[in-house]
Amino acid sequence: MRKPAAFQSFLIVLLTVLSLIMLAPLIHILSVSLSSPLYAQAKLVYFWPKGLQFAVYKKIISMDEMWRAMGVSVYITVIGTLITLALTSMIAYSLSRTTMPGRTWIMRLIVLTFILPAPLIPGFLLVKSLHMLDTLWSLMIPGATSAFYVIIMRTFFRNVSGELFDAAKMDGCGEAGIYFRVVLPLSTAVIATIGLFHAVYQWNTYFSALVFIRDKTLYPLQVLLQNLVAKKGLNNFMGEVQFELNMPVTPEMMSAGIIIFATVPILIVYPFLQRYFVKGAMLGSLKE
Amino acid sequence: MKRRLALRDKGVLILFALPGLLYFLLFKYVPLLGNVIAFQDYNIFKGILHSPWVGFAQFERMFGFEDFYEVFRNSVKLGLYSLLFGFPAPIILALLLNELKSMAFKRVVQTVVYMPHFLSWVIVGSIFINLLSYEGIINTIASKMGLPKVDYVTQGNTFMAVLISTGIWKEVGWGTILYLAALSGINPNLYEAAMVDGAGRWRQMRSITLPFLMPTMVVVLLLSIGHILDANVEQVLIFLNPLVRDVGEVFDTYVYTFGLVGGQYSYTTAIALFKAVIGIVLVFGLNAISRKTTGESLY
Repeated sequence: MRKPAAFQSFLIVLLTVLSLIMLAPLIHILSVSLSSPLYAQAKLVYFWPKGLQFAVYKKIISMDEMWRAMGVSVYITVIGTLITLALTSMIAYSLSRTTMPGRTWIMRLIVLTFILPAPLIPGFLLVKSLHMLDTLWSLMIPGATSAFYVIIMRTFFRNVSGELFDAAKMDGCGEAGIYFRVVLPLSTAVIATIGLFHAVYQWNTYFSALVFIRDKTLYPLQVLLQNLVAKKGLNNFMGEVQFELNMPVTPEMMSAGIIIFATVPILIVYPFLQRYFVKGAMLGSLKE
Repeated sequence: MKRRLALRDKGVLILFALPGLLYFLLFKYVPLLGNVIAFQDYNIFKGILHSPWVGFAQFERMFGFEDFYEVFRNSVKLGLYSLLFGFPAPIILALLLNELKSMAFKRVVQTVVYMPHFLSWVIVGSIFINLLSYEGIINTIASKMGLPKVDYVTQGNTFMAVLISTGIWKEVGWGTILYLAALSGINPNLYEAAMVDGAGRWRQMRSITLPFLMPTMVVVLLLSIGHILDANVEQVLIFLNPLVRDVGEVFDTYVYTFGLVGGQYSYTTAIALFKAVIGIVLVFGLNAISRKTTGESLY
């Protein structure tokens, strides 16, 4: 505590540098995608676009497969999250009620799945035998809920005041009535938290699509992105397109643009995410 | 009348629990039973019921196969390095953030460092493959400074470092949340009292802050050791390329590549089962040790 001011300045410098390390990669990629190919080829682009132009994005929004993959991702995110919320809140509500028969055992069964790892190949064979391969269900159903989600929701529901339940019962509400009219309206915070958790999980779906989806028209955005950018599928693809449209774009700029295109949706919802996510991560840390 | 209502309510509750219960049984427990194919020579046309049983033949094959030891070694190495660097990183960052006086600045830093957690591995991988490639910005800057160019992602001796550092880049901020929550629970009076007693910054950290963080640290450490062989399959798959397969192939990518894509269902399920058993033994064993020595445990 001798020189608090000096220590604070040191901290601020250190953490600013750290923040820049987090941001610099994205800023560089963004700058490359917006620069003129001359500068990009000559490696003169660092953290600011040179020769600003938007040709890359014009080309990306003209790619049909990009929009199709975006559509798939939006679909599995919206529908998948709704399925998850319905499934999770129903079982969590039921397990939060003391009148539910066998609730301790069901809870143990669920918590145990925390430790027991789900094996890949048997999981694949199960999905196959359910005839879900090459359907979008395979991306939404096998990961629809988890012990983590159920525990968070149940903990939250249990803290909803018991007096309200009694009052609702007096007014002639059954369990279904309590769930819809008392518990759900009072639990928007936890529903938003789990919903956002899951929406990001669905949006980032990659490995399950690799495992379950063969049909190229059902690829979500992450798989298309990976095929185009990381596996260098872009070179072949670019050959055709560049010839047709003759736009001033290099493959490297193109991949930079695609990365940004796929990142923007997450960055748009990020401010909302952050608020609920921090809350959720702390809820999750509560021990049973 | 009242009794009938109570009965109806019970029925409703069971009905509510049913879809979720079915989900857990079908998608979490049935695949566990499916592990039996590790003791078969599974044939996709015959199915589990009609495939021939082979006892421990798949495991014998595994132990006789050079590939297995390579994959085992790589997984252990990746797990240990991730733990060594990835475990302390968020603790240090949380302690630094906690020392900040300016709340506004703290919030800005938090917003920035949490962000990469939400990006998919495909995006993070694509970004770093680009930055670290031979023609990428890191090598451009290095060569301007007179340093040699290195193709980080395709070199055996740098590949592991790429995995570890990108892993930390993505998750260090997110990892601070639990620790910051624990730190915010410390009563500031304790620090004041310590200062009155002449304790310096280090002494306060050693005698107040670290003891308060201990429970969280133990839980996080136990869980990460239990998962030491579980590489992040998405991350490794994205960075993995033929030039580094001998140092970068881990259990999860091996099972995917040779099992799922290559059709060696029984053999790779045996490998996955072997790995899973190690993980479970580690979690239970360490938990018991931790309960005895530190009094902290997962359950």
